[in-house]
Amino acid sequence: MRRYYEEKQGFKVDAEMKLGLEQDPFEEIPPPPAASVFLDQHVGPPGKPLVKEGDRVLTGQKISEGEEALALPVHSPITGRVTGFAKLRHPISGNQEQAVLIEAEGEEEWALMEQRPNIKSLSAQEIIERVREAGIVGLGGAAFPAHVKLSRGSDIDHLIINAKESDPNLACDVRLVLERPEELISGIEIMARALDVKEVTFATRTEEGELLQFEKLLKERGIKIAHIRPSYSVGSERLLARELLGREVPADQFPPDVGVVVHNVATCLATAEAVVKGKPLISRGITFYARETGGRNLWVRMGTPVEHILNYIGVSPESVDRVVLGSIMMGKGATDFRTPLLKCFAGLVALTPYEHSPFENPYPCIRCGFCDAICPVDIYPSLLLEALEKGKTEALDNLNFDSCIDCNLCSYVCPSSIRVNPKQRAG
Amino acid sequence: MDELKVSRPSLKPELPPHLALGESKDRVMLKTCAVMAIPLVLGVAAIGWEALWQILISAGTVLILHTVIQFWEGQTGRRISYPTPASPLVLALIVGLSMPAGSPYNITIGVAGLAMLVFKYLQGRLFTRKFVNPAAAAKAVLLTVLSLMVFLEDPLGLGMLYHPHHLNLDMISPAGFADAIAFYETDTLTAEQSLVFWKTHGWIGGASGVGTLVAGIIACFWIRLKWRIPLAFLAAMAVLSVGMGLFTGGDPVSRIALHVFTGSTIFLAFFMATEPQSTPMPGKSQYLFGIALAVLTFILQLAGVLGGSIIALVLLNLLTPWFDKIGHKRAIGMGGGI
Repeated sequence: MRRYYEEKQGFKVDAEMKLGLEQDPFEEIPPPPAASVFLDQHVGPPGKPLVKEGDRVLTGQKISEGEEALALPVHSPITGRVTGFAKLRHPISGNQEQAVLIEAEGEEEWALMEQRPNIKSLSAQEIIERVREAGIVGLGGAAFPAHVKLSRGSDIDHLIINAKESDPNLACDVRLVLERPEELISGIEIMARALDVKEVTFATRTEEGELLQFEKLLKERGIKIAHIRPSYSVGSERLLARELLGREVPADQFPPDVGVVVHNVATCLATAEAVVKGKPLISRGITFYARETGGRNLWVRMGTPVEHILNYIGVSPESVDRVVLGSIMMGKGATDFRTPLLKCFAGLVALTPYEHSPFENPYPCIRCGFCDAICPVDIYPSLLLEALEKGKTEALDNLNFDSCIDCNLCSYVCPSSIRVNPKQRAG
Repeated sequence: MDELKVSRPSLKPELPPHLALGESKDRVMLKTCAVMAIPLVLGVAAIGWEALWQILISAGTVLILHTVIQFWEGQTGRRISYPTPASPLVLALIVGLSMPAGSPYNITIGVAGLAMLVFKYLQGRLFTRKFVNPAAAAKAVLLTVLSLMVFLEDPLGLGMLYHPHHLNLDMISPAGFADAIAFYETDTLTAEQSLVFWKTHGWIGGASGVGTLVAGIIACFWIRLKWRIPLAFLAAMAVLSVGMGLFTGGDPVSRIALHVFTGSTIFLAFFMATEPQSTPMPGKSQYLFGIALAVLTFILQLAGVLGGSIIALVLLNLLTPWFDKIGHKRAIGMGGGI
């Protein structure tokens, strides 16, 4: 594994945070005594609650549902009683949004969906319906409803399984591959079946031979493996489709529009669990990092408050200034440690007050061009920054604002410590 | 739960772990100073201690003004423009290295002061960015103003840009050109050798043309200068020199020696024309900027304004907002194929 990722023009991204973490097995965090489950955990409208205060709920029981095309159900991560509903600060939108509050009670009991171990007997429509019922979203961070991507049908000819895991703080995807190879293969086959694609490529950051057992399994099932060059930006699904297949996704479209569906490896596993074992998506693997503990791979239930994780790991919440949820490059910051884990968060980084945000005291832009040089989609973040600061929104189109993939590399390399990222600037 | 084993981190502010590699503005500035030490040492070795005095005078002037400005900003509750002396120090070195060793000290002080106060500090304050290179603008403005002060005994000589001796040179004909560069001959070196390797007068920063070239190349890799500008500038100067040599029947090599390796070209190419704020961002625009700079500089040099590159640079700096609008790369996802 590498210490650095190499970007354009020789710039490097420090990947030391996750060095050796591939060898760290998942450790299951016990269910929290109380969970806060946001109804909005995906791209699309949140569902309506199916439970009311005082109801007893089982682990995996559906607690919300919606009828819109992009609506997804949410499931209870623990067995217990609904103690109420609250408007909490959503860690992604920053708005006050509705969450179901559940307190653990009694022995854990599961509410499973129907189990279908023989995947060859499943039709595409059945798979899609089960993936939707299980509330599965893109677990790479995008939180796009997975069943929608699987519903594209005849215009898709290639499925890419993204295990590139390029974020500097994440190692949970490689760990999934090492710990649960058979289930992953099963998930890949289910997805390929739903999409009816012949070509499947498993894209990984590992080097040849590092995942020996899994590579052998892939070969047996006729699934290609692509060892992607060590680069952070190539982890983006748009750039991955370009890197692997030479297909460029127009800025106003998505990979399925060029015949490619990209699914994260964790989404594959969730799909296999839903279809084969009947388990809805209520937990996931994440990578935790704090300077004092180093990195850890954890298995955590959605709705678990950050403070529960910190306490379990042995990091005092009082010693933590803020956390970053998800990717350290693109994730969301939170200072309220009651914030619960959402489906899309693959990482959790706890930062002390001594680990200052590099963007606290920016200098004026010196137009060094580092941001332009490193930009993986060839836009000019520096010129976008100038246009945004001067309020020249009409110039944004000419500067290809829509092509920005929000990767944050521009901010990462800025010697003036400016949060350059045009998407963040524009709000 | 077990007692927490929290090892208290040091009180020193630390960056979040993934940002440990981040380059800071100060680091970039100090690296620039380190690279400029190469032409500085070579300049002093070739020209003598007089060169070092010029640089120290420039540095002293700039750093005194920096301290005064910083104090004043602190006292009046304003945002500190330059919290460390790293950036002013780069300016001081550029001014010092762009002066000829024979420059009167008061002129050096004037250029350094004007560069720091007006073109670095005030320009940055008023416009939030710099539209002209502070050192080039200060030198061009001050020397031009001095040249126009007809009541002075020798305004053109004092201004040094429009030096009467230079303006009378015939830079076109082969004979005139040979006469012009004969000035660089030494006991042991021909004019061409002197221009390329070891000049004993002219811009301190260009005393060793080759040495400055090497320093510039190091800077391009180490500091990630806008390398397309010096590349296009020097290549275009070389092409123009060869073309001129062939057109007039003179020796193209002599032309290259003067037009490419003279201090005002070679030092400016790497350490002034690449000043980030006043130069274009898109790569193609940087090439165009370098070529335009070469054409203007070449014309001025043929007209006998031997240090004319700074005038060309300031004029083109003002066109940078226009250069920024052209030469854009095709963004990924905006059509046109891979």
